[in-house]
Amino acid sequence: MAVDESDRSYEHPLYTTLERMPGLDVATTTIDKLLTWGATNSLWVFPMATSCCGIELMATAASRVDADRMGTIVRGTPRQCDVMVVAGTITVKMAPRVLKLWEQMPEPKWCIAMGSCAISGDFYRDIYSVIPGIDTAIPVDVYIPGCPPNPEQLIAGLMRLQEKVRAVRAGEWAPKEERPETAAMQKTAPSIARITSPERSKNITLAQLRGAGNLGLGGDMKRKSLPIVTAKAGPPAEASTAATESTEPASPDSAKAEDVEG
Amino acid sequence: MLKAEAYRALLESDFGVQEFSDKTPPCIEASEHHRLAATLKERGYTLYGFVAATHMPAVKGAADALELAGHYEVATGLRCPTEGSHIAIWRVRLGLDEELRTLVDLFAGADWQEREQYDLVGVRFADHPDLRRLMLPEDWEGHPLHRDYPIDTPHPPWR
Repeated sequence: MAVDESDRSYEHPLYTTLERMPGLDVATTTIDKLLTWGATNSLWVFPMATSCCGIELMATAASRVDADRMGTIVRGTPRQCDVMVVAGTITVKMAPRVLKLWEQMPEPKWCIAMGSCAISGDFYRDIYSVIPGIDTAIPVDVYIPGCPPNPEQLIAGLMRLQEKVRAVRAGEWAPKEERPETAAMQKTAPSIARITSPERSKNITLAQLRGAGNLGLGGDMKRKSLPIVTAKAGPPAEASTAATESTEPASPDSAKAEDVEG
Repeated sequence: MLKAEAYRALLESDFGVQEFSDKTPPCIEASEHHRLAATLKERGYTLYGFVAATHMPAVKGAADALELAGHYEVATGLRCPTEGSHIAIWRVRLGLDEELRTLVDLFAGADWQEREQYDLVGVRFADHPDLRRLMLPEDWEGHPLHRDYPIDTPHPPWR
């Protein structure tokens, strides 16, 4: 199958900014456009990588995704960098250091909060030593949610940042990104009702008891504190349990006895 | 004789330990802590394994004076790196205002581990050469793994 290459361009990307003069080896542009082109395609990254998101940041710079093709090079010093990528949990002890490094970066500078820990602290949010999001300390331009976000998401975030830089340099209004809601803030309900819930089907309890009996754990499951129902209290078999079980629900004891015999 | 049996015999004969359990390491007097470590080091336990302290909160109406007031339990493990690689673990109970003699003079590796336990749990080690905080900032107040430390303690301007 042939690849459709009709809308691909093999021209140097500089010619999206420069205007070609037909018949001449000269191109014209404005200084401002040229500087914007240069600024957006040389976003050097300072890796403020404190935990596992840093691994994905390394993968982004490595050959498979290769952030270098958009001019993004990771530098080890804040003096040469334009973007601080905060990748990881920031603690109370680390936060003054992050702020110090941020202040050492020359203007204009941008900040990317990578991963849910840098965005909000996520599930470490309530720990005594963790700050609830890096945007409490330094202004964040782009949020990249994920735990951790993969390299493609980081590239997408860098491209969003390029758009923002273009808009800011053109004098347009760039709206502030909203902090995305991270996983720890969303209230999730269990897919199966808890054992104490009145909505829970008794057959599920029975099926789980049988499964535990097969593993030799049946004795522990029959503690008095758990509201275990017997077979006669349960309604006829539901579709969820009937798949693996026989037609009539039997009591845990008889199920276990069958196992011993078999 | 297996090393585990020799270790148990040593505790019974020299350190007066009566109770042994499969689940918890043997408990010795706090004053014997350093002597046991020195004895074990002579017998080939030359690798400092770990020190792990726990704060036990006060139990109302407990018969034991330490349990009534709240106490620390400090578990130490030394490993014998020769054949069999046995690890000797023992436990020490301390009052909240008592100090435990450091093992830094025997094992240099105990330095930072004891500093970590002091930092997070609050156990003080007597004669330690450099008992400062290790992980938390130096101006931190309190010890966060104390059971009565509120987890949502604010730290302006950061949290």
